[in-house]
Amino acid sequence: MKRLFLTLTLTFAYVSAFAVDVTVNRVNDRRTGGSFSLLDISMELPKIKSVDVAASRVLVTAATDETGRDLIDHEMSEPSLETNHRLGNETAATPVTVSVRLKNPDRKASKVSEVRGEIELFMPSKDPNSVAEVAKFLSFSGKPVTHKALKANGIEIAVVSPAQIAAEKKRLGDAKRKEYEGYGYEGENLDNAVSSYLEYVLRLEPSDVVLRMKDPNNRIQEIVYVDAAGEIKRGSLRDDEGFKILTTWGEAPQPDWKLRVSMRTPKNLVRHAFALKDVPLP
Amino acid sequence: MRAVAFLILLSSLPLATHAQSGVGVDVDDVTDNRMSEGPMTGSLELRVKLKGTGLDKATAARIVVKDARDDRGNALKASTFGTDYMPRDYNSGTLQVSVSSPARAATSVSIKGTLELFVPTRDPNAVVKIDKALAKLDAPLSHAKLKSAKLSITPLSPDGYAARMKSRKLDDTKIAQIRAEGKKQGVPEKEIELAIELAKAFEGMDSPPSEGELVLAGTKADFDRIFRIDVLGADGKPIDTSGRSVSTRGDDVLMTLQPSTPPPASAALQVYLLTAKSQMSFPFELKVNLP
Repeated sequence: MKRLFLTLTLTFAYVSAFAVDVTVNRVNDRRTGGSFSLLDISMELPKIKSVDVAASRVLVTAATDETGRDLIDHEMSEPSLETNHRLGNETAATPVTVSVRLKNPDRKASKVSEVRGEIELFMPSKDPNSVAEVAKFLSFSGKPVTHKALKANGIEIAVVSPAQIAAEKKRLGDAKRKEYEGYGYEGENLDNAVSSYLEYVLRLEPSDVVLRMKDPNNRIQEIVYVDAAGEIKRGSLRDDEGFKILTTWGEAPQPDWKLRVSMRTPKNLVRHAFALKDVPLP
Repeated sequence: MRAVAFLILLSSLPLATHAQSGVGVDVDDVTDNRMSEGPMTGSLELRVKLKGTGLDKATAARIVVKDARDDRGNALKASTFGTDYMPRDYNSGTLQVSVSSPARAATSVSIKGTLELFVPTRDPNAVVKIDKALAKLDAPLSHAKLKSAKLSITPLSPDGYAARMKSRKLDDTKIAQIRAEGKKQGVPEKEIELAIELAKAFEGMDSPPSEGELVLAGTKADFDRIFRIDVLGADGKPIDTSGRSVSTRGDDVLMTLQPSTPPPASAALQVYLLTAKSQMSFPFELKVNLP
């Protein structure tokens, strides 16, 4: 099983054979009596420009302080790619910064002896099929969105129309009614139970956009809007009854906005080995 | 004679049951947020719970740190942020204490200070109600209690606000004054320049008050003696005012209140003054084991 995971990982991301240059920017040892304790090491990669990196994550294979304490939290799930929020606000030469989160070292330790692992960078410019930008996407209401990059990544996206949402709610309500009838509900009690259920299912804000998506290879990294001025409008994506709801907290997408879908591909995920030695602790 | 003494004792009982006793603080949470050298600095943050009886009479509380040091003998500087009185219903009644980072090799920290309570019921001069406070703008509020406290607050009209903002505008002379003051206080040059840039950025964010907003002007020394100002509606009750901000430039302070509904022309203002009588001080000493 381990071998299969390794094979899959290696085939998906390109791994550089050489360790990448890293310099430590900042060390934050946040020590608490309760939750939110962590050691955060921020690193700069002087040879890789920030403008080329849309997201990153650090996968650690070994980390110890000078007392020998293991700093890896083995109960934590693998980190996901974190969006590079400096993107677009930096100069062309600004190097990319990534950060690694570890467990607190011993208070008696004055340095972290070693941190080793891989830095994974999501670099859309390395693959022409990294980004699908769909102009005037609201005009696709009720229809599937077509784009060659989506097709190349095996992704299907459709913008669900209000009529389709209403039909879906009716279908869900009818199914729930049958289910409740099976439990012995009838008359006014049955109607009340069904309407309470429908109050919370596919509950949408006027600015929400409902998508039906298929992403069998788990390629989608991020979905954002781009307004007419080219400004990125980020929202949150949530699941509801098999649909994806894109919420922008009040700002409704306009007819001239684009839908930008960023996708991870074997070509645009790049991994670099790295190693830090004797990092002084604050 | 005995009867008189008994009556005196009886009449003093309600006062005794309302008085604060056994007042102090217990540590609720400790965060030692340690940062490597750079523009961001770390700090030791304590969240403390108040204990004792009679705390329900206090409208607000604050911690004043007199001395903080780690067990290696290093003195820890108390932060100037978060030293204002906090309403008792904020953060479940807990207070924050912030001092500079102790040595990594330290295992504990001792903090001496005072817990201060604001109990306006102890002083009839601590609460000042000014009727029809907005009837005359650009003139100091008039009230005997404000006069006796030597405190001056001026509600501003839009024109008064514009004039005030013009006089506060950062020019070369004011920037030179900031630099000189920073140097005098031993602030590193980089930090002085950063502060000037920040001041310029904040200046760019200034916008005239929108309808229903109330701007009060005064000196820093006067506003430091005010716990809170409420806008009272026609029913005499405070109008919900979730937006409150204070802009300080040197000794000049502008306080902006954003009531949830525009105050009526007859609105009164209620000012809570931090008078000597309304404040109580309780010394404390804490030993905190570092995480």
